[in-house]
Amino acid sequence: MSLIHALTVLQASRPAHAIAETNHMVIAVFQIVHVFGFIFLLAPSLLLVLRLLGLVLPDQPVEYILRGSRPLVGLGLAMTLSSGVLMFLTGPLHYYANSAFDLKMVFLLAALVIQALVFVVLGSRRAVSLSLARVGVGLSIVAWLAVSVAARAIAFV
Amino acid sequence: MSFLLDFAHRLEDSAIGSAIAEGRFAFPILEGTHLIGLSVAVGLLFLTDLRLLGLFLPEVPVRTLHRQLQPYILGGFALIIVAGVLVSFSEAASLVVSPPWPFKFAFMALAGLNAAYFEFVIARRPDALPDRGPLPLPVRAAGFASLSLWVLVIICGRLIPYMPQWS
Repeated sequence: MSLIHALTVLQASRPAHAIAETNHMVIAVFQIVHVFGFIFLLAPSLLLVLRLLGLVLPDQPVEYILRGSRPLVGLGLAMTLSSGVLMFLTGPLHYYANSAFDLKMVFLLAALVIQALVFVVLGSRRAVSLSLARVGVGLSIVAWLAVSVAARAIAFV
Repeated sequence: MSFLLDFAHRLEDSAIGSAIAEGRFAFPILEGTHLIGLSVAVGLLFLTDLRLLGLFLPEVPVRTLHRQLQPYILGGFALIIVAGVLVSFSEAASLVVSPPWPFKFAFMALAGLNAAYFEFVIARRPDALPDRGPLPLPVRAAGFASLSLWVLVIICGRLIPYMPQWS
């Protein structure tokens, strides 16, 4: 089964139909959840970058900030992914044909992989070079910023 | 209202408004920048508010977190304002007739008043911000108000394209 065929089947599915035919305010709610999820994901990562650069909370251990950030990051991830999937279901073929959407997915994958690596490595209490940690968290922020610009471009491409 | 609408049309017809509306990448870049500023400013503000409520990094003294995050929060707001004003140039007329638009600004004004009251009144009281333990009720109330008002600002902002006019 080709990807186009799979997306056509998905678009014709009952959940996709139900969402596509629903009131447009439901889509607005998905968008709002998506934006809040993005904020919950990015803010703790930004705090971690600032801490690793020694710009904020230099007296607090990185592990403590990491541990405190996990619930928010988890909530942000759940909110962005669930609302993102629901928005995608409104028109899988339309999104597939959108080059900004493809770009967003590439950046999203990169951001998720980098963020997972950073959280797993920094949380493992293994000795990690500070420079490497700064590069990792910095890359994660750049990837999330690219996701946000690509996401806003979807409506204009 | 007609004065506001006239002014909005003049903004749209200005050189900046036309350039942003007609440029292929200007609008998405500005919208993306607005979202990034929002994540930095409101995101870090949320972290401070959650700390005021005792729900985030309870071992970190509030004064330290508040003081050290403040320059980044203000920097994020500067980004939001610049990108937001430029985006408004290109769609001013549709913005001013959208019902959520005035509410967005009303909630922003209330959030600003709440922040000023916290900064200049509550935080200056002796023992208002102890390093450890539960924070006094006015401090927690200010954190809750800030969190709620910024949530409402974002909701109104995202509703603008979905509610283009009153009727």
